[in-house]
Amino acid sequence: MALDERKKIEINSIARLLDELDYFQILKVPQNVSLEELKSAYFRESRNYHPDKFYNEAPDINKKVTAIFKRITEAYKILSDNETRAIYTEGINGAQRAKNLRYIHGVQGGPPKEDEGQTPLGRKYFQMGKIAFNNMDYKGAKINFQLALKMEPKNESFQKRLAEVEEVIRGKK
Amino acid sequence: MGDKVIGIDLGTSTSAVAIVEDGIAKVIPNENGELIHSSVVSFLEDGSRLVGNEAKSRLLLDPENTVYSAKRLIGRKFFSSEVKKAQAICSYNILEGDNQDVRIEIRGKQYTLSEIGAFVLMEMKRIAESAVGEEIKKAVITVPAYFNDGQRQATKDAGTIAGLQVLRIINEPTAAALAYGFGKGLNQKIAIYDLGGGTFDISVLEIGDDIFEVISTAGDTFLGGDDFDDRFIDYLAEAFFKEHNIDLRTDKLALQKLKSAAELGKWDLSENLETSIEIPAIAETMAGEIELKANITRNYFNKLVYDLIQKTFKVCDEALQEASLTVDQLDSVILVGGPTKMSIIREAVESYFFKTPQTGINPEEVVALGAAIQGAALMEASSGSLLLDVTPMSLGIATAGGLMDKLISRNTPIPTEMSRIYTTTRDNQESVNIRIYQGEDSKYENNEPLGEVRLTGIRPARKGEAKVKVTFEINADGIVEVGAMDVDTGQAQRITLNISGGLSRDQIDELRDKYSDNGADVAARPE
Repeated sequence: MALDERKKIEINSIARLLDELDYFQILKVPQNVSLEELKSAYFRESRNYHPDKFYNEAPDINKKVTAIFKRITEAYKILSDNETRAIYTEGINGAQRAKNLRYIHGVQGGPPKEDEGQTPLGRKYFQMGKIAFNNMDYKGAKINFQLALKMEPKNESFQKRLAEVEEVIRGKK
Repeated sequence: MGDKVIGIDLGTSTSAVAIVEDGIAKVIPNENGELIHSSVVSFLEDGSRLVGNEAKSRLLLDPENTVYSAKRLIGRKFFSSEVKKAQAICSYNILEGDNQDVRIEIRGKQYTLSEIGAFVLMEMKRIAESAVGEEIKKAVITVPAYFNDGQRQATKDAGTIAGLQVLRIINEPTAAALAYGFGKGLNQKIAIYDLGGGTFDISVLEIGDDIFEVISTAGDTFLGGDDFDDRFIDYLAEAFFKEHNIDLRTDKLALQKLKSAAELGKWDLSENLETSIEIPAIAETMAGEIELKANITRNYFNKLVYDLIQKTFKVCDEALQEASLTVDQLDSVILVGGPTKMSIIREAVESYFFKTPQTGINPEEVVALGAAIQGAALMEASSGSLLLDVTPMSLGIATAGGLMDKLISRNTPIPTEMSRIYTTTRDNQESVNIRIYQGEDSKYENNEPLGEVRLTGIRPARKGEAKVKVTFEINADGIVEVGAMDVDTGQAQRITLNISGGLSRDQIDELRDKYSDNGADVAARPE
C-alpha cells in the first residue's frame, strides 16, 4: 500500500521541525489541556505516527516516523504527570524556551546555568578561557574568550566573561 | 505472494502456532489434529530429533536426552538461582558455556538455549507450512511481558536460527488482549492474568476501539505451573523418603515418573476433592522393587501451593498500583496459560478481582492467536489495530556511589528513548564506562546487569567539565539500544547492547545455516 504524497510531505516536515516544537505542539493540544483530552490526543497522534503503521515503508520514512512517535510518547509521559508537567510548562514559557523543549532529567528545573557554548570550538575556547582565568593568566583568558566569541558572537556568557576579564586587566594596570 | 506471517506462542510447557486467513485468526493443527504442542525436544540415538507431544512421551523412556521447560533457562546466566534450581531437578544435563552462558548437553553435544528454542519453532513452522501448503518465512513470536532484554534477544535469536524473520517480539498478555478485543470496538479496562508453565505476568490494558494500550505490566519470571508440580513432587518424594529412606528425586527416571504423576494428579484435583497416586516399581531395594502409593486431598494441595498463589497476587497489587487503578475499575479479567485451568487458580482469581474471569477464550490458544493478528497487522500496516506496549522494567546506569540512575522508568510506552548528560569524575579522564541495568532496586547491584557501553577518546579536561550525552532507546521488541556522545567533541559511539553471554551475529547465522538443511535431522513422522 503506497503512502500518499501528502502524508510523506507531512512526515518529512514534522520530522524536520521536531526539535523546534514543544510537547503541547507535538500533541496538538493547548497548555491547559485536561488529562482526559491529553489521552485522546495521545491515542489520536499514535494512530497517525506509530511506526507499526509504516512497517512496510522505506527505511527513511520509518526512521522519521519512529522519531516522531518517540517524541509523542515522551510528550505524553511528561505531560501526564503533574510534577513533570509543571516543571516543563514553566521551562518552555521562560526565556530559555529553546533549550527546554526536551525534558532531560537532571538538567531541567535547576537554576539557569551559564551558557557554556553551543558549538564544539566555542565550548573548547570557553573552557580554556575559564581555566586560564582561574590560573590568573588573564591575558590568556582574554584571548580564549575572544576566540570563543568569534565562534559564537551572540553568546551572552562569552560576552560577559570577556568583559569581566578585560575589567580585571584594566584594573591591574 | 509467499508473504504469510504466523504467530507463535513459544511457551514453557506448550506452544501453539496460528495464522490469519480471510480476516480470521486460527490456530493451526498438526497432522494428528493437535492444536497445542509440548515444548519438549527429544534427541534420539540415531541423531534425529522429535519435537512436541511425541517428544513428551519420551520423557519417561529417555529422560536424560529429552529437554523440557527450556524457556526457564533462555537468556539467563549460569550463576542465576533459576539455573541452579533447574540443575537440581531437571533430568537433562545443564552446563556452563562461554561468558557464563548456559548450555545443555545431550549425547555428547552441547546446545545453547536459543537452539533448543529454535527446534520448537522449526516444528511450529513445519506445522504451519504443512497446513498452508507453502513456505513460511515470517513470524511474530511472543515472550512473557516481564522477560528482560537478554531473554528477549535470545528468543529472537531462536527465531532467526529457525530460519524465520522475526517481525516482532510481543508480550504474551498484550497478545492475549489483542485476541480478546480485536474487531470488537471495545472501550474497556482489562487485566490479563497470565500464569504459564514457568512465568507469571499481569498486564493492565485500556482498549479504546482499535488501540490496545498497556497501562502497566508486572511479572515474576521465577513463578509458574511447574512450581505447582514441584510442590506435588516434593510431597510425594518426602512421604516416600519417610517410609523407605530413599530420595526418589536423585534418580532421573524416578523423578520423571513423579513429575508425570504430579501433573496428572494436579489436574485430577481440579475435578475431584481427592486423588490417589500409584507408581509401581519406582525404586529398587535389596528386597526387590517398591511402589509408591499416596493420597492427597484438594485441600491439602491448596495449602501446599497457597504461597505461590499469593505471590501472583502480590504482583497483581504492584501492577494495579502502577496503573493507579483498583480492581473494581476493571471491566474484565482474562486468564491465559494452561495452569489457569486449575480450579484453585480460577477461584482465587475470581476472589481477588471480584469478577468471574472471561470464559469462551481458550487460555492455551489465545496468545498464538494474538500474535497472528499482530503479524497480519504489521504486514498490512495501514489498517488494523494498534498495540501501545510498554517496557516492563526500569532501565538505568550504575553510578559511582552504588545507586541506580534511572533513565527510563518501567511502564514507559515503547519505542522510546531518553537522554542523560553525564560528566567525568576524574581530571583528564579519557574513557567512560557505562554499565547498564534493568530493574527497580535503588542499588544497581540488586538489578539485572544488561551490558556495558564504552566511550573512548574523551578530550582531556578537568573532572566535571567533559560531558557525555547518553541516549537510551528501547525499540518495539522491548530490546535496548544505547548511544553515547561527547557533548563537546561531538564524537559519537553507537552500539547495540551485546549482553555478555548472548550469541553474536555470526554465531546465529552459522547456526541458522547449520539447521536449514533440516530434513535429515528431524525424525520421520509416523504415517
